[in-house]
Amino acid sequence: MKPFFAQIERDLLIAWQNRQDLGVMLVFFVIIIALFPLAIGANATVLDPLGVPVIWIAALLAILAGFDRLFAQDVRDGWLDQIALSQLGLGWYALAKAISHWLTAGLPLLIMTPLMAMMLNIPLQQWPPLLVALLIGSMGLTLLGVIGAALAEGARRGTALMALLILPLAVPLLIFGTLASQSDRGIISPHLMLLGAVFALLLALAPLVAASALEIGETETGL
Amino acid sequence: MTDHDHKKTARKTAPSTADNHLHIKQLSVLRGMVLVIRSLSHQQSAGDICCLTGPNGAGKSTLLRTIAGRLPAAGGDISCAVPIIYVGHTDGLSGAISGRENLAGWAKINGFPTTETAIDTALSSFATNRFANLPVRVLSRGQRRRLALARLALAPANSLWLLDEPNASLDQASSRILDDIVQKHATAGGMVLAATHLDFAAAAKPRSLHLPGLVT
Repeated sequence: MKPFFAQIERDLLIAWQNRQDLGVMLVFFVIIIALFPLAIGANATVLDPLGVPVIWIAALLAILAGFDRLFAQDVRDGWLDQIALSQLGLGWYALAKAISHWLTAGLPLLIMTPLMAMMLNIPLQQWPPLLVALLIGSMGLTLLGVIGAALAEGARRGTALMALLILPLAVPLLIFGTLASQSDRGIISPHLMLLGAVFALLLALAPLVAASALEIGETETGL
Repeated sequence: MTDHDHKKTARKTAPSTADNHLHIKQLSVLRGMVLVIRSLSHQQSAGDICCLTGPNGAGKSTLLRTIAGRLPAAGGDISCAVPIIYVGHTDGLSGAISGRENLAGWAKINGFPTTETAIDTALSSFATNRFANLPVRVLSRGQRRRLALARLALAPANSLWLLDEPNASLDQASSRILDDIVQKHATAGGMVLAATHLDFAAAAKPRSLHLPGLVT
């Protein structure tokens, strides 16, 4: 397990040195949320039911927007070569990448969410289900993003392709996530369980898919 | 799928009775649709230093990357039972963090010694201590290369070193250090395979493997 945590530690050190990126991501999140009321107009009966979906769409876009460089830098630096020869292996490497990316992008977003919920006038009793669903949903989106980034790296295409591949796959997370967030039966709703099931599936699949995508990409395009 | 299987078998860890050899049998490698290496056979045993020579595009880097398992072989077989240390064109260093953090992270993901003294000794092998705490992005090409080569000091004694133009951007003093380290490694029972155009470990009288170049 030591190599695994060493990879997370390395990514967190790098993220800390590039911490201005985190600010950009958070501002992006806030701006998307702020744009919706501006476009829809000051009509409380229309705006109130839109609070939770708006937060979800903003979170989805903000999380997925940060993914295009996830593996590119490591490939260019030659770090991926070192990983492939190490004890870590590409699968664990991809999982370590997902965890460090969630810690530096998903978690700050989650911390911002209560503020956004206040701004959108989401009733207080709705906050716990929203936060729990967004916690699981952001982790699931991160795993999806890891798959997309690895595939884009292999295909040498970049962000546009990644968005095309990943956004349709994000639909189940979005549907179950928004339903679970708006549940009036407390935190543990059937929708939350389905959201958890999607997350569990992604947790099992994402490292494997990302590892084979990175392997193929590297063997076809390496120096 | 066959490529994948091949790689798995090629890089298997041999039983403890196996001696420290690198065996390459009838190796062919394709890049794109071009055959870069055709039916190459090569053997190296503990203590051997071998220089890989040949014109640009002859497949020197391709051969090293294939042995490292980063490229699939189109045919043939590679067997190597010892740990492989690869120092390629790209140094494997992140520009955002310091050389010391890079080296310590590398040692950790490989399970090599990571104590403060081990890292310090490795850093001083190429006299990198003075700039090891600076972010790598501010360093020169040669300084980065020295940090990448400092990994060699942490490698196990029996490991196979694959060095791709190791002395390309090094100054004379560092080149001499590299020659020294390579010779010591060979004396201790390690193997070195280096692609180079420059004078490399001449005192140790390295063997030479010439790639004629099929597409040049």
